[in-house]
Amino acid sequence: MSLSSRMIIVLTSVGLISGGFLAGVGILTKDRIALNKKMEIERAIVSVVPGSVSGETLYEEKDFTVYGAKNEAGDLQGFALYTSGVGFQDKISLMVGVDASLLRLNSIAVLDQKETPGLGAKITDPTSFLVFWENKDFTQPLSLRKPPAATAESLSASEVNTITGATISSEAVLGIVNAAREKLKALREEGKLAPGGTDAD
Amino acid sequence: MPTRTASQDFLKGLWQENPIFRQMLGMCPTLAVSNAVINGIAMGLATAFVLIFSSFLISLIKKVIPNQVRIACYIVIIATFVTIADRFLAAFFPPISKSLGPFVPLIVVNCIILGRAEAFASKNPPGRSVIDALGMSAGFILALLILSSIREVLGSGTFLGYPVLGSWFEPWVIMVLPPGAFITLGILMAISLQIEMKSRER
Repeated sequence: MSLSSRMIIVLTSVGLISGGFLAGVGILTKDRIALNKKMEIERAIVSVVPGSVSGETLYEEKDFTVYGAKNEAGDLQGFALYTSGVGFQDKISLMVGVDASLLRLNSIAVLDQKETPGLGAKITDPTSFLVFWENKDFTQPLSLRKPPAATAESLSASEVNTITGATISSEAVLGIVNAAREKLKALREEGKLAPGGTDAD
Repeated sequence: MPTRTASQDFLKGLWQENPIFRQMLGMCPTLAVSNAVINGIAMGLATAFVLIFSSFLISLIKKVIPNQVRIACYIVIIATFVTIADRFLAAFFPPISKSLGPFVPLIVVNCIILGRAEAFASKNPPGRSVIDALGMSAGFILALLILSSIREVLGSGTFLGYPVLGSWFEPWVIMVLPPGAFITLGILMAISLQIEMKSRER
């Protein structure tokens, strides 16, 4: 057998065996990975809408999904918005919890972020950032308090805290939430938030 | 090459030929993921898995592979094991998979693995290759563990997520940022070389 045919045969068989093996691994882990992702979304929905146990997709577009959060009896408790935008270094993905009347912001949760560790990454910290996003007035756009207030009580209903040293990350989160607010309002005016009707056009 | 015993094959990876402190291979994942101990351990174990299995397999089929296409074959084999490790982490340890981000797929180009395949596994029997890979993995994990412990304790005041320093401690944010990785690694390398030189003098 000539050298070149041996080279071709060996490389091809190594590739084919590896490919076959990986296809098997892919099939074995695919469902589990999809389930993990679904669980993560579900957990975030439940955490931002108090009293809810599950979420139903009401509207979906790229990087923006509205979930109707329901309690065990199936009654609507509020909406959870999966939304994302550009942060300091990479995309920030948030889950924003709003009550059923769209008047109040319950709380937000961070699903994905690659902000600077120790500075911008504080947007995931419950005590130094997320607590200042609880129970806010959602009838008008939110604004940032700079320099940050010491306690959540000293902020007005439409104000949230800035992270010292990470203004860009704080502003990014604010921008994402305010943009989601606008979108949600527009969707409601178009009548696309009725539970059961999953009209995604 | 002088004949070596199995324990020598293993131990050289820990100190004499430690992949991080001596061979200075695999710097990219070392610097990037050593900001927390759990990341260091996960990265070390994932790399060890890939290194041990690919060394074994490459050593097993080294006679079949024509010399001209050996690197391509090694990379395909390594990439296969890396993908398995990546899928496994994503399926069973999603938080770790998330915090390691792109550095798990990047194990493919970790020089420790290709380096051992080329320098050791392609010239030695499977048994010795596995022992060599075990030693190198242990050395890599050890180095990551030291580095990530220092960085997490000083940079976040925690160890494996548990607070170890009191509230009086103001975390050195620089330690969890890239400069902290370079500074710590440089100091550790200097210390290890110092110890080596002292022991040679005797």
